[in-house]
Amino acid sequence: MDGKTFFVDLTKCTACRGCQVACKQWKKLPAEETVNRGSHQNPEDLSDKTIRLVRFQEQVIDGALHWLFFPEQCRHCVIPPCQMATYEEGSIIHDEATGAVIYTDLTAKESFEDIRDSCPYNIPRQDPETGIIYKCDMCIDRVRVGKLPACVQSCPTGTMNFGDREDMLKLAEKRLNEAREKYPEAQLVDPEDVRVIYLAGFAPELYYATLSAYADASPIRRSPMNKQQFLAKMNNPARRMTRA
Amino acid sequence: MSMNRRHFLKLSATAAAVTAFGGLGCRHTAQAVDRATMLTPEWSKQTTTICCYCAVGCGLIVNTSLKTKMAVNIEGDPDHPVNEGALCAKGASIWQLNDNERRPATPLYRAPGSDKFKEVSWEWALEQIARRVKKTRDESFVQRNAQGQEINRTDAIASLGSAALDNEECWAYQTMLRSLGLVYIEHQARI
Amino acid sequence: MTNHWIDIQNSDCVLIMGSNAAENHPISFKWVTRAQERGATLIHVDPRFTRTSAKADMYAGLRSGSDIAVLGGMIKYILDNDLIFKEYVVNYTNASFVVSKDYDFKDGLFSGYNPETRSYDKKSWAFETDAQGVPVQDASLKHPRCVYQLLKQHYQRYELDKVSAISGLSRDELLRLYKTYTATGKADKAGTIMYAMGWTQHTVGVQNIRCMAMIQLLLGNIGVAGGGVNALRGESNVQGSTDQCLLYHILPGYLKTPLVDEQTLEMHNTKYTPVSKDPKSANWWQNYPKYMNSLLKSMWQEATPADAYRWLPKLDNRNASEYAWLTLFDKMDDGQFKGLFSWGMNPACSGANSIKTRQALGKLDWLVNVNIFPNETGWFWEGPGMNPKEIKTEVFFLPCAVSVEKEGSVTNSGRWMQWRYKGPDAPNGQKPDGDIMYELMEEIRHLYTKEGGAYPEPITNLSWDAIATRGVFDAHKVAKLINGYFTRDVEIKGKVYKKGTLVPSFAFLQEDGSTMSGNWLYCHSYTEKGNMAARRDPSQTPEQAKIGLYPNWSWCWPVNRRILYNRASVDMQGKPYAPEKPVIQWDGAKWVGDVPDGGWAPGTKHAFIMRKHGHGQIFGPGRADGPMPEYYEPLECPVKSHPFSSQLHNPTAISFDDEQKAVCDPRFPFVGTTYRVTEHWQTGVMTRNQGWLIEAEPQVFVELSPELAQMRGIENGEKVMVDSLRGSIWAVAIVTKRMKPFAIQGVEVHQVGLPWHFGWTWPKDGGDSANILTPSVGDPNTGIPETKAFMVNVRKA
Repeated sequence: MDGKTFFVDLTKCTACRGCQVACKQWKKLPAEETVNRGSHQNPEDLSDKTIRLVRFQEQVIDGALHWLFFPEQCRHCVIPPCQMATYEEGSIIHDEATGAVIYTDLTAKESFEDIRDSCPYNIPRQDPETGIIYKCDMCIDRVRVGKLPACVQSCPTGTMNFGDREDMLKLAEKRLNEAREKYPEAQLVDPEDVRVIYLAGFAPELYYATLSAYADASPIRRSPMNKQQFLAKMNNPARRMTRA
Repeated sequence: MSMNRRHFLKLSATAAAVTAFGGLGCRHTAQAVDRATMLTPEWSKQTTTICCYCAVGCGLIVNTSLKTKMAVNIEGDPDHPVNEGALCAKGASIWQLNDNERRPATPLYRAPGSDKFKEVSWEWALEQIARRVKKTRDESFVQRNAQGQEINRTDAIASLGSAALDNEECWAYQTMLRSLGLVYIEHQARI
Repeated sequence: MTNHWIDIQNSDCVLIMGSNAAENHPISFKWVTRAQERGATLIHVDPRFTRTSAKADMYAGLRSGSDIAVLGGMIKYILDNDLIFKEYVVNYTNASFVVSKDYDFKDGLFSGYNPETRSYDKKSWAFETDAQGVPVQDASLKHPRCVYQLLKQHYQRYELDKVSAISGLSRDELLRLYKTYTATGKADKAGTIMYAMGWTQHTVGVQNIRCMAMIQLLLGNIGVAGGGVNALRGESNVQGSTDQCLLYHILPGYLKTPLVDEQTLEMHNTKYTPVSKDPKSANWWQNYPKYMNSLLKSMWQEATPADAYRWLPKLDNRNASEYAWLTLFDKMDDGQFKGLFSWGMNPACSGANSIKTRQALGKLDWLVNVNIFPNETGWFWEGPGMNPKEIKTEVFFLPCAVSVEKEGSVTNSGRWMQWRYKGPDAPNGQKPDGDIMYELMEEIRHLYTKEGGAYPEPITNLSWDAIATRGVFDAHKVAKLINGYFTRDVEIKGKVYKKGTLVPSFAFLQEDGSTMSGNWLYCHSYTEKGNMAARRDPSQTPEQAKIGLYPNWSWCWPVNRRILYNRASVDMQGKPYAPEKPVIQWDGAKWVGDVPDGGWAPGTKHAFIMRKHGHGQIFGPGRADGPMPEYYEPLECPVKSHPFSSQLHNPTAISFDDEQKAVCDPRFPFVGTTYRVTEHWQTGVMTRNQGWLIEAEPQVFVELSPELAQMRGIENGEKVMVDSLRGSIWAVAIVTKRMKPFAIQGVEVHQVGLPWHFGWTWPKDGGDSANILTPSVGDPNTGIPETKAFMVNVRKA
């Protein structure tokens, strides 16, 4: 069983932010205090209270102005590196049926630095008071009773899609072919690695530095572990046992 | 950059073996199950509504707690042919209208020259308003103009509102205003 | 909307002009996107690059207020290149009608202008008629005074270079726009227009829309799937509140408010019942007396319609300059009004010229403010610049229930009347508006019954119990009353309808008092078959499925017709012009598809049944400012002249002489406009008080181009001041390439824009209303203020 996958067609997103609010509504996440910083994007970044954020980016591409929208969320990696960075059993759960990567309250016992550094997309955020780490959980409670994730349900334009991975991969390929008529540079972003597959009309870094894990220009803000550290952690037999 | 493409792929490959055993402990999902359970008939009443903002007229499903009589979840109605379950940021936030501490709980009255509102009862407020309407109407009502034509109106009371009212309320409101003889009747459609 | 939201998917070219649908009607983009997926071209013409432009196949920036130049240029392009859908134009529009020889147009003025009254005598705009009163027509369109020829003559002045110079669109952009859109003039192609306040909020608002309606008629785009003239209405029930006529000039169902000169019901009905001797003209308004009398009977059920008519107030005239919003506040500021109901409205932020509006509220004796949240109107006495001690106005604030806490119906932009059920309770016993008005009127009636008073008859005789059950407002009872009942046993076409049964549809309404109906347009919405608005049946025939028609889902006025003027979608034999997207078609015995505009066989009646002569009005002799749209600058503008005439402004626009206007005023060098964002609604009273929405758009902002920012030394994200002749507000600068300077007649003109969602009450550092900047000037037909184009300055705070 290949689990579930999101397909997100950025060529269709209007940044109505229905998904950003629908996420908060379903989970009853508190609002943040914000100010206008000379942008329509708000909050400024993901947080423990904002686990889904529509990012706005103005770009001039080949002399034409484009306003690019990127609804960002946890990518639910096929093989989640964050889970490999854990010490505590059950802090990060990889749901077998769906492939959802789910953080529990036990993440409070993890090193937030390690968890965040492990993420190629810079997604996890910590509640400074409780130490619990938060991010999208694929609306696992909804998915289990046969409902769409709140963000997908709310999307008007067909940007957000959700279903069996096989179907979503097919849809992604179909849409990619269609999109190339208007967007010759269109591409699927990291499709083998993640369960949130974005279709970008332009180079991913034009939307946001870490839309793709592989973009050359992708500066992950926090200082990362080096490769040896990371692999050492991953291959720690004791920790592998606890997950199994 | 912290991780290049090769690195991520390699990571994926080495970890593939372990993830197959990944499971989800019940204790960690207790809260999540509650949210979905709250939508079942044992816990909440389900009603349909239409969005209160723009005039696209999107359908929504409202779940109201049987216990508290407050909404527990409001989301798009997938069966509705116009929005097929979709909502924009405003529509998606309607839940915050019902349960909102900024809503005044009672009628308020501000006296001439006062620098504050005071809470008053519905009975008192409606009776006082009725008295103001009657006094102003009685003092200003004109049955016949200078030419002797019947005009039966007051030019001293005006009304603004409202496109936020239901059809039935709009109709009742215009009936009330016109029976009082108001002619200055306007609302959002004019602006 | 003549059509409806789902129908947008059927379009071959979607023109969004005068609206920002992706932001203000976000779910419309479900259907716009679907049209694009089927190959449609999306064009956005707007002063600002928005979330709508971001999805458009073509975006063109125009200076706010120059729409008629661009659209007039399109009419010229259509006529020059003979792109009209000729069969449609000849059969269904008044292009062939011959206009009076007294009609004239010279240098921006139509014949009949009176500079003293700033109004037109419209006599010379009439059609030439035969002895029967039927317009003289020339189907060859060659008569020098036929509408088609006058149109050609009028718009030949709208040359590409002139249009470009005044609008800021380049020649190339104009040609691409014209070529792409006018390709929908083919029989089986459809183009649609999605417009909103970007067109209405101008001193030429009505003519902006007429200009586009004329284009749609020339291209044969009205009545067809994927076409129409589609006003994107901005409030959940602004269609319904307009249908129920909470406006000075109309009664429910667009009947006329009585004037002083119409002393009796008979005089009134005779005046508004058009007569046509053309056997092919359905002339639907010939039924006016049935509708008027049934309305009167619903309000005062024990009285005869003639007596009830006497009780209605009579207006001196129906001029917007006398009774509409701007004048209402001008008169309030002069002290005319003692009392005001501000019911579900926040005029202190929503109308033009907020400082004047707020000042006027202080001239009242009493103010009743019904709302969900504290707002700048009910709380005006403690607002900026106010001294509560000096303000005598008594204020009553009544907290009301929100939409999900009550039952009733709302009508969307596509005219769908949709039922809402009660979900949660109001948390502290806040009352539904219906309960508040019922109880308040009961108090008033009680006082009049007990104490008497001025002319109590209309109050004491009012059938107020008809809206309540056991003392509680009853939405079902009102909905049934709006639909209407038989008041006695009536036999119609051999069938007896018992007293007290619901009227099946408006074709059954009577003039003699045997029927009552609160709104004839809604007669058919709640019948013996049940509450039609509450229907949730998605079933459809294969033809209906082709164009996304859901006739069994909710209900739509009139008589569940989903696409208006649909007789114009077929030829004289009843064959659809677009066979793949048929709205209606004649199967030899009856119409199938949508509910047709009357069941008559094809070719036996003219298509536009609401017009006296049955034709779409390319020439519109009823408008206050001319039978054809003409270019005028906004009343505040950055130019001293324009290329089309020496008449700078609309000569009939509503304005107050004692209020200055900035025309080429160096103190206010930039064009300003106002708008909305997805995350807030109207003055923001509902949305500013919700955490998730104020989080996304927390403060008032002003969008300006990098060029202008550099000129003024403004950094992105800093607070700046925006000033107009009326006042000043601070706003956070959003410096963005989405705004650009325009080249207007060789001069660089900058434009800035602000949302009008904010107000000083909440949030604390959110800013105030952009309407502090906007002028009290308006369209002569509607009175709608010109808040989309005015002059401002922007400076560092």
